[in-house]
Amino acid sequence: MIYNIRHVTTYTYETSVASTRCAFRLTPRDGGGQRLLAHEIEATPALHAATERLDFFGNRIIEATIREAHAKLIIAMTARVEVSREEPPAEGLTPLWESVGRDAADVRSLAADSPAHALFASRLAPIEAPVTEYARQSFAPGRPVLEGAAELMRRIRADFVYDPEATDVATPLAEAFARKSGVCQDFAHIMIAGLRGLGLPAAYVSGYIRTFPAPGEIRLDGADASHAWVAVWCGDPFGWIQMDPTNAMYADNNHIVVAVGRDYADVAPIDGVIVGAGRQTLAVAVDIKPVGAPG
Amino acid sequence: MIADPQAVAIDGDIARRIAAWIADYAPLSGVPDELIGPDGRPRAHWAQLLNTLAGLGQDGVEGRFAAAARRINDMGVTHRVHGEAQERPWPLSRLPLLLTENEWREIATGVAQRAELLDRVLRDVYGPASLVVDGALPAAAVAGSPEFIRPMCGVEPAGGRWLRFFAADLGRGPDGKWWVLGDRAQAPSGAGYAVENRLVLARAFPSLYREMNVRRLAGFFRDFRAGLVAAAKRSDPRICLMTPGPWSETYSEHVYLARYLGFLLLEGEDLVTGDGRLHARTVAGPKRIDVVWRRVDSDWLDPLEANAASRLGAPGFYDAIRRGTVTLANMPGAGFVESRALMSFLPALSRRLLGEDLRLPNVATWWCGQEAERAEILASFDHRAIAGAFGDRPEGLEDGGPAIGAQLDDMRRTRLIRAIKTRGMDYVGQELVQLSTTPAWRDGALTPRPFTLRVFAAATAEGWTIMPGGFCRVANHLDARAISMGAGAQSADVWVLGEAAEPTTTLLPNNNDVKVVRVPGNLPSRAADNLFWMGRYLERAEATLRVVRLMCNRMTESQVGSTHRQPIERCERLLVAWGATAPMPGGASGAALALAAATSAEHYGSARSIALQATRSASIVRERLSQDMWQLLTRLDARLARASARAPLEPEILEMTERALHTLAALSGLMDENFNRVTGWVFIDLGRRVERAINTCRFVRHFAADDPTIETLDALLELIDSQISYRTRYLAGAAQAPAIDMAMLDPFNPRSVAFQSRRIDSHLAALPSLSDDGMMEPQRRLAVALRAELEAEDARRLDTARVLTIEQRLMAIAVAVAARYFSHGSDPSPADKRSRLA
Repeated sequence: MIYNIRHVTTYTYETSVASTRCAFRLTPRDGGGQRLLAHEIEATPALHAATERLDFFGNRIIEATIREAHAKLIIAMTARVEVSREEPPAEGLTPLWESVGRDAADVRSLAADSPAHALFASRLAPIEAPVTEYARQSFAPGRPVLEGAAELMRRIRADFVYDPEATDVATPLAEAFARKSGVCQDFAHIMIAGLRGLGLPAAYVSGYIRTFPAPGEIRLDGADASHAWVAVWCGDPFGWIQMDPTNAMYADNNHIVVAVGRDYADVAPIDGVIVGAGRQTLAVAVDIKPVGAPG
Repeated sequence: MIADPQAVAIDGDIARRIAAWIADYAPLSGVPDELIGPDGRPRAHWAQLLNTLAGLGQDGVEGRFAAAARRINDMGVTHRVHGEAQERPWPLSRLPLLLTENEWREIATGVAQRAELLDRVLRDVYGPASLVVDGALPAAAVAGSPEFIRPMCGVEPAGGRWLRFFAADLGRGPDGKWWVLGDRAQAPSGAGYAVENRLVLARAFPSLYREMNVRRLAGFFRDFRAGLVAAAKRSDPRICLMTPGPWSETYSEHVYLARYLGFLLLEGEDLVTGDGRLHARTVAGPKRIDVVWRRVDSDWLDPLEANAASRLGAPGFYDAIRRGTVTLANMPGAGFVESRALMSFLPALSRRLLGEDLRLPNVATWWCGQEAERAEILASFDHRAIAGAFGDRPEGLEDGGPAIGAQLDDMRRTRLIRAIKTRGMDYVGQELVQLSTTPAWRDGALTPRPFTLRVFAAATAEGWTIMPGGFCRVANHLDARAISMGAGAQSADVWVLGEAAEPTTTLLPNNNDVKVVRVPGNLPSRAADNLFWMGRYLERAEATLRVVRLMCNRMTESQVGSTHRQPIERCERLLVAWGATAPMPGGASGAALALAAATSAEHYGSARSIALQATRSASIVRERLSQDMWQLLTRLDARLARASARAPLEPEILEMTERALHTLAALSGLMDENFNRVTGWVFIDLGRRVERAINTCRFVRHFAADDPTIETLDALLELIDSQISYRTRYLAGAAQAPAIDMAMLDPFNPRSVAFQSRRIDSHLAALPSLSDDGMMEPQRRLAVALRAELEAEDARRLDTARVLTIEQRLMAIAVAVAARYFSHGSDPSPADKRSRLA
């Protein structure tokens, strides 16, 4: 499947901003079941001294300064991506979860894909005893790891309410867990924290998911959204398996990966420091269009 | 004549006195003691120290100890306990820790070896990670550390080293050998306090210090500085010490070290990045920084790549480091080697990387991320100290640990064991350490106290150099496991006793910070801002106290009669308008109002509140002020605070006001006579001049308008210190136009507005200009116009409205100065408000 993606972020400032220093992680990843065919980032006002590199986890990061005073900042990312993901392995064939924890500790690598990075508490995914206990219910002794992880994913989908008003970026994990509600980001963090609490490596994946208009309705421009899910390390030879607790499904060809990290803090699409005072508002519009598909 | 007590005391007295001091000295069994040797008698080097002390007599010794305590106060050596507003005086143990040169050599070689080893470990884990690939170091033992800073992977540090300043905490084990208890690589503290401890003790016991050949510390710092210079990319590098700011627990040390070493003391707000380089924001525009000795933790250095909530760093800092344009001591992520998990691997890593055994053993450590080690710890749980593997607080150790197996209740024990079984990688088990003891002085005698010794190492072009001394912490109780200064321990000076006398070297220049103050352009904008405001606040405090003094004077002289009441009423009105006090009900005495205006803590405009603001501004630029100035400032504060505690009578208020004014006069004198005439001074004086001009305008508006009586005009002349010159110039009593002329326009009167305006103009002319097109910058243009106008003005035309206009134009100059020098012109608001985008 080939997609054309357009992701426009607009910041509007109450008072003019003298300068902005920013970093973007907006471009989809190349590799791991997808190919980046074309990509571009445009900003108004223009970016000064923009540099592009890969960060530790292999995400494409663009750093730049905006020197002009501005009351509005528009960042538009366009990309064309081909997605062709493998089917997940049969759950029952994956190793026992206890041995996955042990194997993860034995991997002799500090490279970006080493499970060692995904074993520990991180800034936004701290290990919390109640979350660990919740996850433990899906991991009876001797259970294959993917079977346990898939059950945990389905339980999160069943037990938690999707409610964009319940949380924001700053809501601590423990609070979202106690409320049993939140958005994709919260569900991903909760699943990650639960798995890590049991000693299993779990990472955060950010990207997009293709949405389908309800039957009889037409597709609206800009109605798609950023999405987040989880990657679980299942030992050799399976490696990382991506699972989407918000939709209780394995990531498939409708998922497009932009960045991976330990939690949201590693993959925030836009990081920046502005020089200026006053309030700001943020508007995001995302379009995911399959090439050749109608609408 | 008083005889030298040393000459009077005879040997028998000395022996008896020493015997009394150590009569109740009871070292713990099973651990060595510094004072008492295995034969039960004082060791030779301690005997020498005690002999000399005893020769001074009991009173002599106590007297010197008291002098040392006063000196700590005078030097302004403080520390802050986390979360407290007030800094505390430094708790210095009266006795040094003594180390013989032989013993020292062993420690020094061991610490140098360790520093080299840890630097190589860092180079590997942030580079090829061959230790991990070859199985010498498990990946999880690295990745688990919050100080494994991933953006630093693959970075080649400018100057080649990850570690340039390192400290090891040592303790003496039961066999008398030294052990490493912990490593400090993030931003080791204590080196500055060590120097200050030394200055205090060396002054209290100068002859003793010389007789015992105590090794000096200055050479170490000289070598450290030379090492930084050699590691920089430019030949005459600009070096800064980066501090989290006055709220940091060890800010006083940062101030001291910056001054001692001649480094710029900068906060994150002072730093900006551009084109991959790091710059300091100075009054002459951005200036490149070549070397950063950081006391800010890695995670807070860069809000863009690390902790987005940080206000202590500079966005783009990591990028500048990645490009190798700035040398760091130490690199972000160097703190990784502090993790306890690493300790268990160091003996093997030392053999692998250096081809030698560790000279100083670690405390035996088992990382529970490995199966065999975990089993070992669970089997010997009761006899181990359990701690977080990476210095954090994992489940079961929420209090920060370490926990001792045998001392846990059943519930905590079960919980901790279960947590170790689930996530062993978060825990280490360590051998229980019983610290050895050293003598402390308590209630006129010696008593044994457990201690730890921090030893410092600095990288030079030739390898590691070790401070011949250190930072010793002495517990306040005989039973001590974890020692932290906040928990009420003391620090002690560490004397390495040389075998022969050593030639003198010192870093202490008479004129501190030489490099900085001679280059006017190097004054950081934030420092300029605070110096300017310090000048303004001091001037305002003086003006307020002058009004209070005037009021007290008039009240004591005044009889009933409206002409005498007028100046008092106008003083009251002015003080209320300045927010120095609130209007008081009709019956209240003028004295109460005067007292409040001088000393009240509730009113933002009282002399006391203003003095506090001055001290606050001064504390941010403390490294630029002399100790004398700092002392006078604290004294002013104390004076006004003390008076408010009582309800004094009018003469007492007057006396207190006079004294506070004397202190301010002394401060002015110090600033004029002892402050280098460079940019820093220009900003202080600019602040004073602007404030004085504004205050004089206000005096004129209050005392020379609305049908002033002769007494009121006389009050104006008193406020501007011009009664005498007025009388020599005019034979009649005070009249309106001449008084206004004297206050506003007289170019010879150092308190007139015209005089201030000329000073303001010449100061602004002397400050650096950002453009080289020869055009005047806005603040200068305003000042030139005001100066010219005042020179051409006629006192008879100066009514209240015109005076008010002049006052407003002075304020506009202050705003223009702030916009140009303090916030770099881009943003008219006084401070940058940084906020996060997403």
